[in-house]
Amino acid sequence: MLHCANTSGNLAGDMTVWERQRARMKWQEEQGYFSAFDALFSSSSQDSFLLPADSGCALGEVVAQAQAQPQPKPRPMNKPSVHGFDESSSISRTFSCPPALVEPRPTGSSIGKESSKKRKPEKLHNAKFVTENDTKDKRIKLGSDDDEQSKITGSPNSNANTDSNKRETCADTSNSKQNSKVSEIQNQKPDYIHVRARRGQATDSHSLAERVSILSQLFTQVRREKISERMKYLQDLVPGCNKITGKAGMLDEIINYVQSLQRQVEFLSMKLAAVNPRLDLSIDDLFEKEVFPCAANFPNIGMSSDLTNSGYVQFNSPQEMVSYGGLDTVINPPYMGLKRSISAHVSVPETYLHSVGFSSLNFPIPSCYIAQFDLIFLIM
Amino acid sequence: MITNPPTASTERSRDAKRRKKKKTQEREDEKQPRWKSQAQQQIYSSKLRQALARVNLGSASPKGKAVREAADRVLAVTAKGRTRWSRAILTNRLKLKFTKHKRQRRARVSVHRLKAKGGASVQRKVRFLGRLVPGCRKEPLPVVLEEAIDYIPALEMQVRAMNALFNLLSAASSSSSSS
Repeated sequence: MLHCANTSGNLAGDMTVWERQRARMKWQEEQGYFSAFDALFSSSSQDSFLLPADSGCALGEVVAQAQAQPQPKPRPMNKPSVHGFDESSSISRTFSCPPALVEPRPTGSSIGKESSKKRKPEKLHNAKFVTENDTKDKRIKLGSDDDEQSKITGSPNSNANTDSNKRETCADTSNSKQNSKVSEIQNQKPDYIHVRARRGQATDSHSLAERVSILSQLFTQVRREKISERMKYLQDLVPGCNKITGKAGMLDEIINYVQSLQRQVEFLSMKLAAVNPRLDLSIDDLFEKEVFPCAANFPNIGMSSDLTNSGYVQFNSPQEMVSYGGLDTVINPPYMGLKRSISAHVSVPETYLHSVGFSSLNFPIPSCYIAQFDLIFLIM
Repeated sequence: MITNPPTASTERSRDAKRRKKKKTQEREDEKQPRWKSQAQQQIYSSKLRQALARVNLGSASPKGKAVREAADRVLAVTAKGRTRWSRAILTNRLKLKFTKHKRQRRARVSVHRLKAKGGASVQRKVRFLGRLVPGCRKEPLPVVLEEAIDYIPALEMQVRAMNALFNLLSAASSSSSSS
C-alpha cells in the first residue's frame, strides 16, 4: 500500500512518516497520551472552540488532569502536544470553518505561518489548501504529530470536510491503502477506541472517520505536491521569482508577468498594424513590376474562390493544419469578393500551400497563380 | 535584399516543419511544445506573416485588435491544440466571428477584473490568473498553473517573433519605399 502511495504521488517520505507514526503511537500508548488528546479534542470539538493564543496552557492543564500517570518529561511532551494540538486543531478548525485565531507555532515554517493566517476567512475550498499546508508541515516536522492528527481528525468535525475532500478523490487504490493503514492503526490502539466509545462516539465513526481522514490526507498531499511542483517550475519561468516563496507572492508575480507579456503583444501588434499598410503597398508594387499573365485578377474572384474551396477539400485530408485551414476557408470565402485586393486573395491559396508543404502540392493551379506564389514567397 | 532572408527563412521553416512532424511524435509527452526553439519561432513567424497579409485590408478600423487577434490565433494554432488556452483561443475567435460580439466580450472581462481585484486571497488570485490565461476561467489552481506553464513561454515566443517580424518588415518596407 505504501508502494502504491509512493508511485501515485511521489510521496517519498511517506514510508518513513508512517513508520515513525507507528513508533510514536507505541511510545504514546505507554504514556497514555491518547486518552488525554481524545478527551481534550472531543470536548473542544463539541464546544465549537475558538483557540486563543494561550491554548498551549489550556492543553497543558488538561493533559495534566486527564493523565493518571505522572509525566516524567513534561517539556518534551508538551512541545509535541502543542504541535499536535496546533496542527490538529487547525485542521479541525478549517474543516468546521469557524473564525479561529492564529495560534503561535513554536517551530512553524514560513509556509505554515502563511497557511495559518490564511485560514481565517477561507471557505471550504480553501480549507483543502490549508490542509495541504498542514500535511506538508507535518512532514517537515518529522511526522511527530501525524498520529495525533490522524486520531483527532476522527472527530465529527472532520467528517464534513473530509467528505468534501473525498468528492475530489477518485482512486480506489488509495481507499484500500487507507483501509489497511486504518486497520493497522486500530490494531495498535485499543485504548483509543475505548476512550472514544466512552465519549459517546460510535466506534464505527472512528474507523470511518479515520479512513476518510487518511484518505483526505493522502490526496491533499498529492495535490499539494502537484501544486508545489508546478510552482517551482513557474519560479524558473518567471524572472525574478527566486526570492519569493509562498503561493500568494508567486501568484502575484505570475499575474504581473503574464499581464506584461500580453501588454507587449498588444504593443507589438499595434506596431505591426502600422507597418502593415506599407507591406501591402510594397507587395502591390512588386506585383505590378513583375510579369504575370493574369493581370486582371478581379474577374477571377469567383474562380479563385472555387479554387480555394477545392483546394481546401483536397487539403483537408492531410493532417496538421486541418483546423487552421478549416477556420480560414470558412471565414475567407465570404470576404473574398468584397474587399480583397490582389495580394489578399492570392495569398489565401498560398497559405494552403505553405501549410502543407510544397511537396504535397496537388491541385491544379493556373500558371499565373504559380508565378504569383513564387513572388509572394520571394517577398515574404 | 528582400529575397535572400525570406527565402532562407521560408525554406528553413518548411524544413523545420517537416522535421517537426517527425519530432512531435517523439516528443509528445513533453510539457511544452518547445516554445524556446528557433524552429517553432520560424513556424510562427511565417504563419503570422501570412495571417497579417490577410488581415491588412480586411478590417480597417479595429486594425490593432485584428492584428492582435490574428497573432493570438496563429499562436494557438502553433500550439497544435494540446493545451486548454490554445483550444480556447481558437474556439473563442470562431464564436466571435460568427456572433460578432467582440466588444461586449471585452467589456465583460474588464468588469470581472474590477470586481475581483480587491481582497488578496489565494483563491481570488487564482481566478484572476485563470481569466488572464484564455480558457481557464473556472479551473482550479493546479490546472491554471499548468496552463500558465505552457502559456508563458508561448507568449515570450510570440513577443520575440513579433519583434523580429516588425524589424524585418520595417526594414523591408523602408528599403522598398526608398528604392
